[in-house]
Amino acid sequence: MKTIIKRELLDHLQSIQFIVLLVFSITLFSANGIIFAKKFRQVDSTFQQRTAGSQPHPDTQIIFLFRQSNPYLFLAEGGDLDRPSAYFLMAKGYFSASSAFLSRDYKLPDIPKLDWSFIIKTIFSLYVILLGYAAVSGEKEEGTLRLVLSNPVGRVRFLAGKYIAILCAALVPLLAGCLVSSVILAIVLPQILTFDTVSRILFLLLLSAAYLSLFAFLSLLVSSLIRRSSIALLVLLAVWVVFIVLIPDISGILAQKLAKVPSDYQTAKNLGPFVQKEVWDKINGIQARIDRGELRTEEAVKAEAEKAYESGQEKLRFYEKNYEDSVAQRARLARDLSRLSPIALFQYAADDIALSGIHGEEEFLKNISSYSKIYDAYVMKKTGKLISQSNWMFSSSVKVDGKSIDLHSPQPEAYRGDMSDFPKFVERPARLSEAVRYALGDIAGLLVWNILLAGLAFSMFLRSDVR
Amino acid sequence: MIGTIVKREILDYLKSAKFQIGLVVTLVIAVVATAINIQDFKLRQQDYTAAREEMKGNKYEVLIYRPPQVLSVLVQGKDRVLGSKASLTTLTIPDRLTGYMGSRGAERQRSLSGFGSVDFAFVVRVILSLMVVFLAYNAVSEEKSFGTLKLALANPVPRHHLLLGKGLAGLAIVLGSLFIASTASVLLMLVQPFIVLAGSDVMRILNLVAASALYLIAFYALSLFVSVLVNRPSTALMILLQLWIILVVIYPHLGVDIAENFFRLPGDRELSAMKQAAFQPYEAEFNKVRDAYRYKGDRSPETGRRYFELQALESQKSHEVDLDFGRQLTRQMRLAQNLCLLSPAVLFDRMANRYARTGLDEYERFMQGLARYWQTKYLGLQKLRYEDLKAYQKAEVPAFDYPTERTAEAWIATIPQGLILCLMSLILFVLAYAAFLKKDVR
Repeated sequence: MKTIIKRELLDHLQSIQFIVLLVFSITLFSANGIIFAKKFRQVDSTFQQRTAGSQPHPDTQIIFLFRQSNPYLFLAEGGDLDRPSAYFLMAKGYFSASSAFLSRDYKLPDIPKLDWSFIIKTIFSLYVILLGYAAVSGEKEEGTLRLVLSNPVGRVRFLAGKYIAILCAALVPLLAGCLVSSVILAIVLPQILTFDTVSRILFLLLLSAAYLSLFAFLSLLVSSLIRRSSIALLVLLAVWVVFIVLIPDISGILAQKLAKVPSDYQTAKNLGPFVQKEVWDKINGIQARIDRGELRTEEAVKAEAEKAYESGQEKLRFYEKNYEDSVAQRARLARDLSRLSPIALFQYAADDIALSGIHGEEEFLKNISSYSKIYDAYVMKKTGKLISQSNWMFSSSVKVDGKSIDLHSPQPEAYRGDMSDFPKFVERPARLSEAVRYALGDIAGLLVWNILLAGLAFSMFLRSDVR
Repeated sequence: MIGTIVKREILDYLKSAKFQIGLVVTLVIAVVATAINIQDFKLRQQDYTAAREEMKGNKYEVLIYRPPQVLSVLVQGKDRVLGSKASLTTLTIPDRLTGYMGSRGAERQRSLSGFGSVDFAFVVRVILSLMVVFLAYNAVSEEKSFGTLKLALANPVPRHHLLLGKGLAGLAIVLGSLFIASTASVLLMLVQPFIVLAGSDVMRILNLVAASALYLIAFYALSLFVSVLVNRPSTALMILLQLWIILVVIYPHLGVDIAENFFRLPGDRELSAMKQAAFQPYEAEFNKVRDAYRYKGDRSPETGRRYFELQALESQKSHEVDLDFGRQLTRQMRLAQNLCLLSPAVLFDRMANRYARTGLDEYERFMQGLARYWQTKYLGLQKLRYEDLKAYQKAEVPAFDYPTERTAEAWIATIPQGLILCLMSLILFVLAYAAFLKKDVR
């Protein structure tokens, strides 16, 4: 078996695919290192500028919370750079993405970022196919398969030897590339190369090995099923296209179709004119209720106006939450559907490890939620009441017993005194163990693919007619 | 003689599994994608009309909405993500559109499965170009490896006739598939009652199909060339795939990455400093007038009017800085495109977006229209308040519209890309031809 592996590996190392892959790998990974080092510096310096001094800037009406720059984005960007880098938070746990800090270079084409997971999931998977498609069918075509198997070599050993050789031939350029990228990052940004980063890198490499091994098994399977190597390659490529393009894209489309998301416009209308009108109607109705004798005292009238305001605020929260939830639901559905493809499994697991995907965002929102309790307690202590601002207001006046009362929508109070004890917002990013827990399902999926394809490949090869 | 060869080759292609499977896959994806995009367009169109009716601003804050482009059904481009609403006041001329809910909405739409969207342009760029590679990789290499090339050339057929015949047959098949896919997509659009295609839209669709044809021909020429050069079909296919992944995936990617990271843009702070500097000469007067108007109760028409003029001037100065920044962003985008001048996929994308009006050119035309509207009609309306209050109260918010691009303009703008694609195909065909004439066919 050692002989087989050695011979196969030598064959691969001399082949044109291998050389090209090595060149691609080193080029792309060094580009990755340079780009992400630059990007991290830029994002991090913006973050440092914004949060210089106390973070957040003390205020009892509204505060800004900034997201730390994620040092693992070079592994898997996961849409992180397009997410809002700041949120505003008000009393009663109300927060929202701030539109002032969105990505600025919106004129460039939207293409996936050149991170490790992108290079591995597209380029390397394709090259594993190119290395493996002729493993059995090529030898069959040339008649050497018969010769090899007439020696005292078991078929299982033969195929296992081929498998190991393919995987090694793909992993060598991968490791070389990763090394180059890591060295560049280590030189430019020595501060991010911590134990944590290294363990994430190693974890991603393990994940990549599992992912590439699945493609090695797949090409061996197809190669033993199909006699002509060019047809085997065609079939493998068709499968690759299905995995990388069709399943993810179609699941995006299906999710858009199946999930009921209120349109951008409908939500905007509910949040704006609709709720505003409801509240105004209630406020305008107060005079009539006074005349009917339902409200007699000034306190009762004021309480009623406050109730109207609060009900409006609740409606706002409801529509916002409904929108956010259904968008998140749709994204989850799209991802669940695309998990049929191992490429998506790998991508989502890599995103989780780099804390950049949907789960990374959820973790940050949890951080805000837990901070908002501290903030509420602080505001309560300083100003004595919790009021969250609204995007509409009212001001009107009514008459009770000939006395006129002004009704204004409540405003959160700006505390003018000493705020040196303002609570600090400290973001706690998820640890590796938590990240792995998120990725567990996807990793299991990759293993299942491996076992399934390995079983099929071996059983097909054992039964195949080698003449 | 050529006729016989073309006929035989076409029949061979039609019977081959790769053509049949490829055509079915192409057709299914094109139809499904177009159907979904039509639904999406319908919803966006409804939202747009409803927003114009229901979400009117007041006379001071004028809300302008951007209509969705009908051809985004075929080429999504950036139409969905660039936003759909602008709010104008004396204090602000927007330099960028937002979603209906502010900038959040438009951004949020994107986070689906994390992969891209599918439309007719995608089908051409990825699926059909791959199909072209599959169809053509063995045009010559397989006959050579089977030994039938020798036989074919033993007949009284000149070599160039054989290659020409093969080339024409392959092109006919490729263009035929393109024709079927585009006809299916367009027919699907035409039967929708809410989609009204103007004459210029039809012209644009024809241009789009022609651009697709140019793109596919370039790939076909490349495949033919490799097929002539390489003797083993599987090696030819391998080389072609590597070229495909370079031209369609890696090269455009690196171009954007370089432009994104090595093009210096001013930071937020620099921009606000520039805005402040631009208004510096008027700052003192502005402060004086504002204090008089707002705090000292000087409500004389002259003061009010001066206050308004200075406000407008400040927005204008800051808009000039924004405009300059926008121009830099455009230069950055152009740099990304020009770095990828040799990738047929990028050339095709540029042409497709231009014809479908879903690229940045259309967006910028809209934004220019917006700035002009603010300058002339909006400010004119606000001025009335200080000149003739009664007329202001009676006045209606002036209608907004912006000049549409004539098809000829789009056509002229895409000539360079078209020429490069033509040139590429021509050179590759000539190379294939020369290589075939000198080829050892044994």
